[in-house]
Amino acid sequence: MSVQPTPGPPPGGTPPAETPSETPAETPSEAPGGSPGPAGGRTATLRPARPRWRETLRLLAGNPTAAVAAVLLLLIVLVAVFDEPLAPQGANEIDVAGRLQPPGLEHPFGTDDLGRDVLSRIILGASVSLRVGFLAVLIALVVGSTIGLLAGFYGRWVDDVLMRVMDMLFAFPAVLLAIAVLAVRGPGSGNTALAIAVVYVPIFARVTRASVLGVREEVYVRASRSVGAGDLRLLTRHVLPNAAPPIIVQTSISLAFAVLAEAALSFLGLGTQPPNPSWGLMLAEGRGYIELAWWIAFFPGMAIFLTVLCFNLLGDGLRDVLDPRQRTLMGGGGR
Amino acid sequence: MTAPLLEVDDLCVRLRTPRGPAAVVNGLSYTVGEGETVAVVGESGSGKSVSVLALLGLLPTRSATVTGRALLRGEDLLTLPDDRLRRIRGAGVGMVFQDPMTSLNPVLTVGRQLVEGIRAHADVPRPAARDRAAELLGEVGLPDPRRALDRYPHELSGGMRQRVMIAIALSNSPSLLIADEATTALDVTVQAQILELVERLQRDHGTGVVWITHDLGVVAGIADRVLVMYGGRCVEDGTADDVLERPAHPYTRGLLGALPDLALDRDDGELATVPGTPPPPTDLPEGCVFWPRCPVRGDPRCETEQPPLAPVLRGGHGHDRREPPHRAATWCGEDEAPARGSGAAAAGRAP
Amino acid sequence: MTGYLLRRTGQSAVVLAGVSVIVFALVHLVPGDPVRLALGTRFDQATYDALLARSGLDQPLVQQFFGWAGRALTGDLGVSFRSGDPVTLLILERLPATVTLAFASLLVALLIAVPLGTVSALRPRTVVDRAATVFSQFGISVPDFWMGIVLILVFAGTLGWLPTGGYVPLGEDPLGWLQRLIMPAVVTGVVSGSVITRFVRSSVLEALGSDHVRTAEAKGLPRRQVLTWHVLRNALLPLVTVTGVQLAYLLSGVVVVEIVFAWPGLGQLALQSVQARDYPVLQGAILLFALVFLVINLLVDLLYTAIDPRIRR
Repeated sequence: MSVQPTPGPPPGGTPPAETPSETPAETPSEAPGGSPGPAGGRTATLRPARPRWRETLRLLAGNPTAAVAAVLLLLIVLVAVFDEPLAPQGANEIDVAGRLQPPGLEHPFGTDDLGRDVLSRIILGASVSLRVGFLAVLIALVVGSTIGLLAGFYGRWVDDVLMRVMDMLFAFPAVLLAIAVLAVRGPGSGNTALAIAVVYVPIFARVTRASVLGVREEVYVRASRSVGAGDLRLLTRHVLPNAAPPIIVQTSISLAFAVLAEAALSFLGLGTQPPNPSWGLMLAEGRGYIELAWWIAFFPGMAIFLTVLCFNLLGDGLRDVLDPRQRTLMGGGGR
Repeated sequence: MTAPLLEVDDLCVRLRTPRGPAAVVNGLSYTVGEGETVAVVGESGSGKSVSVLALLGLLPTRSATVTGRALLRGEDLLTLPDDRLRRIRGAGVGMVFQDPMTSLNPVLTVGRQLVEGIRAHADVPRPAARDRAAELLGEVGLPDPRRALDRYPHELSGGMRQRVMIAIALSNSPSLLIADEATTALDVTVQAQILELVERLQRDHGTGVVWITHDLGVVAGIADRVLVMYGGRCVEDGTADDVLERPAHPYTRGLLGALPDLALDRDDGELATVPGTPPPPTDLPEGCVFWPRCPVRGDPRCETEQPPLAPVLRGGHGHDRREPPHRAATWCGEDEAPARGSGAAAAGRAP
Repeated sequence: MTGYLLRRTGQSAVVLAGVSVIVFALVHLVPGDPVRLALGTRFDQATYDALLARSGLDQPLVQQFFGWAGRALTGDLGVSFRSGDPVTLLILERLPATVTLAFASLLVALLIAVPLGTVSALRPRTVVDRAATVFSQFGISVPDFWMGIVLILVFAGTLGWLPTGGYVPLGEDPLGWLQRLIMPAVVTGVVSGSVITRFVRSSVLEALGSDHVRTAEAKGLPRRQVLTWHVLRNALLPLVTVTGVQLAYLLSGVVVVEIVFAWPGLGQLALQSVQARDYPVLQGAILLFALVFLVINLLVDLLYTAIDPRIRR
């Protein structure tokens, strides 16, 4: 399951059933003569609304769950960055005499079958797991968003060709696609990031395309076009900033799944290779000792779980803040 | 004079919103007689829809607090137990909503939606309810009502859908019909047909009607009496003639002054109204709710004291005792400024 | 309607064609000689030549592709580099285990998600609602393999109620079959279920706030009737889509869980073929998964047009 992308955009297959709750007759009314008619209750902004970071942060701070998640994530990232000084022992300090020691004062999370300190390996593994996750999402974000931007902005055959290719990638089960990439490229951290990125490219492409389509026709784009602004300028100055919120939300959620996927692939022996400490790999190593020494597998799993949870909670918080449709939902029958 | 059909007394509605508590309706009182049409007029956000939803307990119970009294034939709707109130919804009071596109369930047939309404209040077998449903559809003017029963809402035009809504609202012969912006989403010719239909049904069945709208053309066409709402309050009420021809409140005058002459092309549909926007119910002004937008403010009390709803003094015109009084809540009524645009608004006409 | 059906099927066929090109390309993207890699240390020229000829890798690329795709259409996916068995046979052997687990997981997922999502939407901010939120957040974030290992530790190790893993056919040992099915089905069911719970919750909330529900209430329908016919019916229609997507995902092999519970399904086969560099098997498995995914999505779309009157044309 780990790499299942579902909580992002619904992978509803193909367009016709993608938004089933929409009444077909609901065509946005385009006001004639270029007057900015409110289409579908959505007021056209005359200036590009830049993502308001300050406002976003303030609202996010008002959401305790997301705020706690953000702080925890910051801590996890700090641990990953300053891993060496923080770890009580080296990742591969073998101590055969002190093997399989239960959690205690000397080894808070116990030791593994080679007597390595589990806590130290978790701390040192953080950077491996996070680095692969961030790299994968970065690749997927850049490649996928570019594809989505081009498809959404140019439409017509560009859209058709690009999105059909994305559909093909989407037709592969996520884990299998990643496994296939690793089967070709061979195991290892870099290839793992690449494999996960391949899975997420079509998702970013879809999300970006959808939000670009939403802003493409807005007044200011048409206005800028009429004064002769070039495509590149339009894209970077107007379309991208306005299409950004869903992409930001998708990034946070994708990070969660990238960390999970890295762990899963390493667990399967295809990702990070021993003796490097990766959380998924540690779980795989501890699995054989589960009845003898539960802590070897338990604590790395906990680390994965907490990290993924924080990314997801942050993503949900960001969605509440950045996606106004969710916020208006609570108004209900108020009017 | 017999007891009115509906008597609303000091209705207040408070809603909890993400932006804090909102005083949406503030001490609204009015009556509707048997067979009478009362138009409630105001801009969006004036609290007019909420005020009727509150009567039937259709506001979210968790976030809404409703106080006051609302007697329907002597029974207070606001204190009725849920089950009793449910029996009044649909049977005693029928409702028609603004958007016939979304107000019907898209995945159930028209017939089913009528039949379930009928059977919720009368113990009739399904075939009989279907017959009645077809009869109702015929009455509201749907061609081929039998076949229409098996249609889905999206297969009908907007006007037809609104006719279906009216059929549903009338299916249990309610004594009161509440129409909440029922013609707003329709184009002008269809609007006229729907208004005509409601008038005819009202004549035939003697139904009292509360017609909520922001469209003064509609008001002129159908209302016996008019109630103008602003900031959750009634700022003026009286007979349609009084309010439309001799508006006393600056807000009503503004609305009427802005009423496009019907001879002109009504291309914008909306009334262009008074400058500014209504105050948010989370942040109502001190004093008269209207003063921040008022073109004629000047009385020292405007910014400090809410004017009471008081009878309008009319020099020269004797007041007809049988008519309900013409009242307005304003400090400026006493010096009786001539109503702007009253001449244009006067020629009471059906839209 | 027929036009839509044809267009939709055509789209799927195009995507499938593209997928098959990608799957075919897989073998050729591997650096080096895949046959040689597969043979590893057991290398002798005769075996090598035979395998190369059998796999057709000595032919020109285009000819290879059409030969491979043409045989795939007739159900011949080639032979395993390792065992020499037909790939189709290997896949068919694994199919029952995977299908069993997929449907059992979906059952668990729906049994949790539909009631939990519905109740939490109907009673927002209550204990049930909070529980649903916590559950779905847990299920979405938990590494399934870790959850599997913890379950094994508790139920197979400490309590000793269930076997640690494996698979026996239902016909041979019904009780053993069930005992071995429970844990993997719960793990994947919880993960799938958390996704569906979220969906059900927001779907019911949306339906609750819709205008036609207000109409139904204004008609004076009993609360129960409003909920069943106007809220739940409308809210659960789109559930068909989500359930279909989940089923497609579950059927395409829950690799990691199959490994944890030694469940001999397609995911395990795929992983083994990667480890053994048995490319024909991997190709066959991936092609099948993609096919399953496309067919289920197609079916879901068609089913949806059948049950939602709005989409009928």
